[in-house]
Amino acid sequence: MIRLAAVADIHFGADSSGMLRAQFEDLTHHADMLLVAGDLTKCGHAHLEDAGVTVLEGETTTVDVDGARVGVAGTKGFGGGFAGASGTDFGEPEMKAFVRHTMALAEGLEHGLRSLEGCDVRVALLHYSPVRDTLAGERAEIFPFLGSYLLAEAIDHAGADLALHGHAHAGVEKGVTPGGVLVRNVAQPVIKHAYNVYTFEPSRSLAADAHA
Amino acid sequence: MAATGEAPSESRHYIVQRVREALAHDGRTNELDLTVSVNGDKVFITGTVPTTERRDAIGVVAREVLPDHEVHNHVTLYETAEPTDGEDLS
Ligand SMILES: [Mn+2]
Repeated sequence: MIRLAAVADIHFGADSSGMLRAQFEDLTHHADMLLVAGDLTKCGHAHLEDAGVTVLEGETTTVDVDGARVGVAGTKGFGGGFAGASGTDFGEPEMKAFVRHTMALAEGLEHGLRSLEGCDVRVALLHYSPVRDTLAGERAEIFPFLGSYLLAEAIDHAGADLALHGHAHAGVEKGVTPGGVLVRNVAQPVIKHAYNVYTFEPSRSLAADAHA
Repeated sequence: MAATGEAPSESRHYIVQRVREALAHDGRTNELDLTVSVNGDKVFITGTVPTTERRDAIGVVAREVLPDHEVHNHVTLYETAEPTDGEDLS
């Protein structure tokens, strides 16, 4: 069994030192890896790599779990809104820059996920949301600042087993992309746990593929 | 008659944004995800943050911005329970 721990939006500062030490020291009992979907701190990620954290901004990594390969493609993502109510790459330069930033990151994500084809489990790790589902509870006026359908489109084109995001503190945990990829908003104020754990039985899914 | 632009008292819309901007920019808080509402001379702040220090700082910052208002800091702390068994997604 592959066990993925995930959380986002911990927003730690100097005032939070040691706060989650107990829960994270215990991590290996609950999970094989920890995926952080952004906003780990309230002051940037300058020291993360020194601390042994793999930062995935437009990059991918693979982790071996008991012979199964887990591929993770990461990007912060960005806003723009959702189908039928989204920004367009047209008109004023500032608006184009906004939408093009999301387009570039979505393109990188699609490329990353494709490069992970053949992994037993593929995860898209975002900060911004790819879908509206998990924003339920947020004010609709700010949806364009919380995510973009372009991220879902990239995930659906390339394929994935799970998309994780945060950023929507007042949203809900569960959603799905238009193409049927499961989405989980793991923002700490949403999941109300030190982290959530998602499990995959790779042999079972491979067996199901063989039957199909 | 043309409006003078001088309201007798600042509209609550602008007061809400003034507090939200202060809570986002002030180094003691840097919190972007708080809900601020104003009702007369009362200001209510809700949301969740990781620490008691940050929760208390939110009240301090808001009171500095709005010394003439009665600030009700209803911000709560993150719940960080041990994880459950997990959700099977296979
Ligand atoms: Mn956040």
